[in-house]
Amino acid sequence: MVEDTKPDVTKEIPKIDLSDSIREFADQNSDYYVECLTEIQATGEKVTPWNNAAMLFGPAWCAARGLWNMFWLFTVAELVALVQLGRGIWGDLGAEKMSEATQLRERAHELRLEAGVAGVTGDETAESSAEIATNLEKAADIAMMEAVAAAETWWIYLLAGIVLFVVLRYVLGRYANRLYELQYAAWRLNRNTPNGFNMQRLIYALALLAVLVPLTLYRFTVSNPAPWLTDVPIGNSYFTTSSNVLDSWFDRTAELGAGVFDGVTAGAQTVLDVMELFLVDAPWPVVAVFLVLIAWRVASIRVAIFTAASLTYIGFLGLWEASMVSIVLVGAAAFFCVIIGIPLGIWFSRSERAYAIARPVLDLMQTIPPFVYLIPIIAFFGTGRVPGILATIIFAMPPVVRLTALGLRQVPSNVVEAAVAFGATKWRILIGVELPLATPAIMTGVNQTILMSLSMVVIASLIGAKGLGQEVLTALQYVAKGQGILAGLAILFCAMMLDRIVQGRFQRQEDQ
Amino acid sequence: MKHEEREVVIELKNAWKIFGEQADQAMQAVKSEGIGKAEVLDKYGAVVGIADCSFNVRRGEIFCIMGLSGSGKSTLVRHVNRLIEPTSGEIYLLGEDVMKLSTTALREMRAKRIGMVFQHMALLPHRSVRDNVAYPLEIRGESKSRRWDVSQHSLSLVGLDGFEDRFPRELSGGMQQRVGLARALASDPDVLLMDEPFSALDPLIRRQLQDQFMALSEQLHKTTLFITHDLDEAIRLGTRIAIMKDGRIVQIGTPEEIVTNPADDYVRDFVQNISKLKLVFAHTIQVPINEYKPQEGDDLSRSPRVSQDVDLDYLIDVAVKTNQPTVTTDDDGKDVGVVSKDRLLQGIRDGK
Repeated sequence: MVEDTKPDVTKEIPKIDLSDSIREFADQNSDYYVECLTEIQATGEKVTPWNNAAMLFGPAWCAARGLWNMFWLFTVAELVALVQLGRGIWGDLGAEKMSEATQLRERAHELRLEAGVAGVTGDETAESSAEIATNLEKAADIAMMEAVAAAETWWIYLLAGIVLFVVLRYVLGRYANRLYELQYAAWRLNRNTPNGFNMQRLIYALALLAVLVPLTLYRFTVSNPAPWLTDVPIGNSYFTTSSNVLDSWFDRTAELGAGVFDGVTAGAQTVLDVMELFLVDAPWPVVAVFLVLIAWRVASIRVAIFTAASLTYIGFLGLWEASMVSIVLVGAAAFFCVIIGIPLGIWFSRSERAYAIARPVLDLMQTIPPFVYLIPIIAFFGTGRVPGILATIIFAMPPVVRLTALGLRQVPSNVVEAAVAFGATKWRILIGVELPLATPAIMTGVNQTILMSLSMVVIASLIGAKGLGQEVLTALQYVAKGQGILAGLAILFCAMMLDRIVQGRFQRQEDQ
Repeated sequence: MKHEEREVVIELKNAWKIFGEQADQAMQAVKSEGIGKAEVLDKYGAVVGIADCSFNVRRGEIFCIMGLSGSGKSTLVRHVNRLIEPTSGEIYLLGEDVMKLSTTALREMRAKRIGMVFQHMALLPHRSVRDNVAYPLEIRGESKSRRWDVSQHSLSLVGLDGFEDRFPRELSGGMQQRVGLARALASDPDVLLMDEPFSALDPLIRRQLQDQFMALSEQLHKTTLFITHDLDEAIRLGTRIAIMKDGRIVQIGTPEEIVTNPADDYVRDFVQNISKLKLVFAHTIQVPINEYKPQEGDDLSRSPRVSQDVDLDYLIDVAVKTNQPTVTTDDDGKDVGVVSKDRLLQGIRDGK
């Protein structure tokens, strides 16, 4: 019969029995926890049975049961409560005002003595001294009264401490089993999750509490705690020694590596000179027409119009030469970033280990404040445009490296496999398949690099790179608001111009 | 010339592939202790991709490797051109030991002897259709005019004239796969490796491409290793079929052998729903004429006569026009067997 083989849907779905697994999880006092957790699960997590152990022992219970997050949370919260309690019971609440009053009184006493001496010698300051002394005594009296009033507020602290403590323990007793149920779910997924009742954990927790609680209470409730508690009892001798060692190391490196540093400077200088010849030394109408034409040919008519408008702004405000110097600076920096960054990116896309080592370095280059590396750069390369470019490279290169590596990693492996299957060499695959497919990512990196280079223009001018950055810097020094804004806008236009021209070529390919 | 007499083009002998860091130790354990797939995973954390696979493909054959996903068929085909290195085993292509080739010689062989078609086309999105097809020739360093000539010819073979200056993304899936086929044909290779080429296409287009591929295959006489998860496709295209399960080849045979004589339950499950009409022949189901017990009203002298090599489809056409059993004859026209209607119905259902 067909009907017999049909599953009986009206029959109840069999219940799974978790009690054995909960028992294994809870270890000690397991019957209680089986009951609690089963109830929580059965009621759809709406009913949570009260947990006496958690309420009584607080953080210690959390630690013993392996709920470390809760242990820390409640330890800190209970410390706050205990500090209030301690202040209320034995803290010297008026101490601060009292010492202020004593000081004022002493000063007043001194002034009175001076006034007395002055009165004897017939000095005209006597009168004013006496008057100040009177005022001080009045102030001292007020402070005294405030101290007494503060001392009388002890019960507020006491009450606050008690209420907070009770609330905390209530919360723990109320929700401990709920948290424990979550811990159980986590333990089912990952057996390394702390489970059971563990004596070792409890001892650790008690040792921690034994150190933390007394020290904290002492620091906050005693009016003049021992100085070794408030300040780390170590002078600045380590700092001085270390910085001296570093100083001498930098000096020595600068001396030893002078050849290398000069070589780098000369190389960068050559690139800068060539670019400067075209953009700064050439007659401005030639440069302007050249830039607009490039924008038009490489990108689009819209970019050409935008370029023309930006150049007009720059020209009319007399920032032409400064702008061109900045564009040269940024162009050179971006050039070096791409020349160095893309090969590095290729390398990092191939070697997982190299990338693992390089990643923190790239993070460092992006996050460390530029002023920090400006100092050694000055030590090695002096001041001027070249160190400005080097600082810019440090800041602006990471995006190109990262996005090149990312782009290459994202090239579909089946396309690469096809190229291999047709007998292509690794080099051919890189040039003919991988780099073209990674171009969108690489171009995003180049775009980031250009924009970040321009944001470094102002900082580079601190170490003697001229251009728009210097305009902004002088504006800053003389608080010349107008000058700053006009030069800043010029930086923005330069950035957009460069970016649109570089992206334009690629964007056109995409549109096809 | 019969296939059995032609030269062997592709030969794999006891090929193993084990994936994992301890693949070599696992391989040794498999060879010395004969441990199984589960133990390899358990002890060495290694996965057996293909296990002890041997087969050979003769010139002009379309050799289909059929298996479900994860059975190792794509891994197996990649051993032929060493896109994947075997852990152990021998591979010969056109009589040359592929494992002994230097990097350069291997590249040479891939570029000149082997054309490959992939499931997901794997076309270069930044190149035109023409440049995609010409890519293998470009790798070989052929001149531009030669590349253009060959790619044009290759595209016309697959019926894509007039699309050479488009980009792959402008083409439909079926057309893209034809570009992939044209690319594989462009270098005029001896061997075609086809890794589930039609699997990603919808059934109608798949059918069209299968027909087109069979016609091309007839015309060009390429030796083909064809991977598929679709038994219908394997039976339609394959000269011979190898069935894979869990990295092992379970059975190798002609479509008829596979359908009529499955090696085990696994294969039997597969062939159950395959139509046998075109695969089973009269000689398989006939009763020898001297053993035939005539039923009431039978008169074999009035029976229609057909060659014993006709398929069931043809037998049905003959049988519906008469009330007599059909008599089969050998090449000399001598009566050899009888197929009664009962026998025919049984043959349609069971294939024997």
